[in-house]
Formats: sequence, structure tokens, C-alpha cells
Amino acid sequence: MDTKTLIKDAKARFSHNSAKAYLKEKFNSKLIIAEQGGLWRADAQTIALLSSLSNQFTETTVLIDTFDNPVEVEIASLLESLTTLYNNVMTEWYAEWQELENKR
Amino acid sequence: MARTRKQEIDRGVVVFAFNSSKYNYVEMAEYCARRAKAFLDLPTTIVTDEESAETITYDFDNVVIVEPDKNNIREHQVWINKGRYQAYELSPYEETLVLDVDYIINSDKLLKTFDFSDSFCCHNRTEMLMYPEAPQEYLSSYSYNSLWATVIMFKKSERAKQIFEALEMVQNNYDHYANIHSFVGGIFRNDYALTLALKIVNGHSEVLSDYIPWNLVHVGKNTSVYADALDVFDCKGEDFNTKFTVMFDHWKNSKMRKEYTMIKDMDFHIMNKDLFEGIMNG
Repeated sequence: MDTKTLIKDAKARFSHNSAKAYLKEKFNSKLIIAEQGGLWRADAQTIALLSSLSNQFTETTVLIDTFDNPVEVEIASLLESLTTLYNNVMTEWYAEWQELENKR
Repeated sequence: MARTRKQEIDRGVVVFAFNSSKYNYVEMAEYCARRAKAFLDLPTTIVTDEESAETITYDFDNVVIVEPDKNNIREHQVWINKGRYQAYELSPYEETLVLDVDYIINSDKLLKTFDFSDSFCCHNRTEMLMYPEAPQEYLSSYSYNSLWATVIMFKKSERAKQIFEALEMVQNNYDHYANIHSFVGGIFRNDYALTLALKIVNGHSEVLSDYIPWNLVHVGKNTSVYADALDVFDCKGEDFNTKFTVMFDHWKNSKMRKEYTMIKDMDFHIMNKDLFEGIMNG
């Protein structure tokens, strides 16, 4: 039996909350990257901090990574990696969210 | 006794599979190995016994035959899950992923684990598909949050060796630790043994880099998973399905409502072997 028939026969309702939770779980893990000797999450906070520091005419800084270790990083290079990763993952997340949002 | 077909490779997957009277674990291991090859581009070594090895149809990179410890009974059946500590000695790889055979790989995400630690990492948190409020598992109310032996990454190192030696020690003294930590000791669980082993090696402190920084996704109770298509292996090549429909029995005020969602390209672990066989065989 194919899954469409299964859903129809069971009179199952699409759970948007579960879809949202699944997408969050899936894409949050994709936002993690190991670089320059630390482990980073490409989130808004880290990107904003790096972006702000990159305007201070400093090349390096020390950040606390997701393992709570202080790591000296080269700002421009890390900012580029995290921004690229963020954009790619969020675009993918948005596309799949739109796909699931139309389900009933 | 080890039968090695290819030269030692730096990275690879190790799976333990011993057939029982109820389930064909070797078949599950083959399903897992095919996906490890396709999504992670890693070779797989199977650790099994003589009898189970005769049922192998997949071309594993290595087949390691061991004498299984059948001294574990669950639901009146022999459950061969002891001996996971041997992974360190038996793995032909410098960097190894030890996977439960019922872990369904749908992405290359696990490759990231090799970047997270110089020695060892495993999951310390879980998420139940369609049941996000499910609590984390504890060994007991007086003990630790359980770690999970479903996915273990280790690199040959003194520290990883110590962890697996501690795992052996905990396995050999499981009832003693069950007594101390107030959990049921009758059935051996690798998850609990690993939790205790890692705590011992770390001097009962937390080392964040030992934990994979995302949740282990489980398919829990009242939840069914159906593959949207079967994997195809033919002369044209291999085509792996990564889309699944998840159905959940949502109970509220003594009434049950079926809910579903759809997932794709996401790794998950199925504890229910009947469900796993359903996905595997359609």
C-alpha cells in the first residue's frame, strides 16, 4: 500500500507542529561547522558578532565555541564560512517549509 | 578470527549483527552498510558469528567472526548485544563510526562527527519524531542522563581505548553498577554501560566534545514510519529512498487521532525491529 492511500484510509491529519519541529531538528544540525580549531553554530548571534568585529579593523579575535572553549579565530574567514553556511541552510529550510506548509 | 578482503582503510563503519530466532540482524546490517556506502562513501565491517555470517549476501569490506556472548535475555529471547567494547580492537580503521544496524542513514551528516573530537563522541540527547515533549532518558531518578551507543565515533587513541576498556569493565560488573545507580540490571544495555564508562573515564565530569552536537532522532512509541518508495538496486545502479511518512497516534482525552508528517534526508533510529523490517522490505 502506498503512503497516500495509507494516510487517506487512516484519516490522518497533517501535523504542522511536528513538521516545524522536524525541520528545526534537521536544519539546526546543518548549521554546525568545525573550523579554525573550534566548533561553531552559524546562527544570527555569532554572525552578528563577527560582522561587528570585522568593522573594527581587527583581523583576529577570541570567541567561545559551542564546546565552551576559547578559540582565537581569523574574523573575515570565519565570517565568510558562517555566512555562506547560514544562507545555504536557511534557503533549504525555507524551501522545505513552504513545501510542507501547503500540506493538508 | 578476521577475514579481511581489502587493505586497511583510514575511515569506516563497524556494525555488530547476530541473528536471533526472531530477527535477521545481518539483513539489517546489509541495509545499513549499503546506505553508509552511498551517503558517507565509507566501507563497512560487520562483526558477527559463524552462523549469522552464512546468511551474508552483501559484499562487506571486512567480515569479523567472533564468539558471541549469549548471556542476555530480553522478552524470553536471547539478545546478543554484549561485546560492543570490542569495537576498538576489531575495527580495522583509524577512525570509526560504530552504528546500530537499525539506524537509517539518509544524509552525509555523520561525516561531521569526525571533525568534532580527536578521540570519541556519541549522542547525549534524543528527540522523538512527532513527540518533541518526550523526556530524556535517565538511568534512574538518582543517576545520570543516558548516553546513546547507537552512533559512536572514535579515533584510535589512548583515550578512546580507555573508554572501551571501561565499557568492558562495566559490562563485566553490570549488576554491581545497576545496584549503585538503581536501574534494572537483568537486561544488559549498551547505552547504560557506555554512560557509566564515559563518566568513569572523565572522572564523573562533563566533556562537551564527547557529545555529538545534535539530537539522536528516535522513532518512539505510538509512531510508525513508512518509506515513500523502496530502495532500488539494479543494473542501472542504486537509488535510495530518503522520503518517509511518519504517523503518530495522538491520544487526548481518551480519544485517539492519527496525525502524520513527512520527512526527507534525515537520519533516524528505529527501535521497533518489525517497523524497521517493514521499511527495509516494503
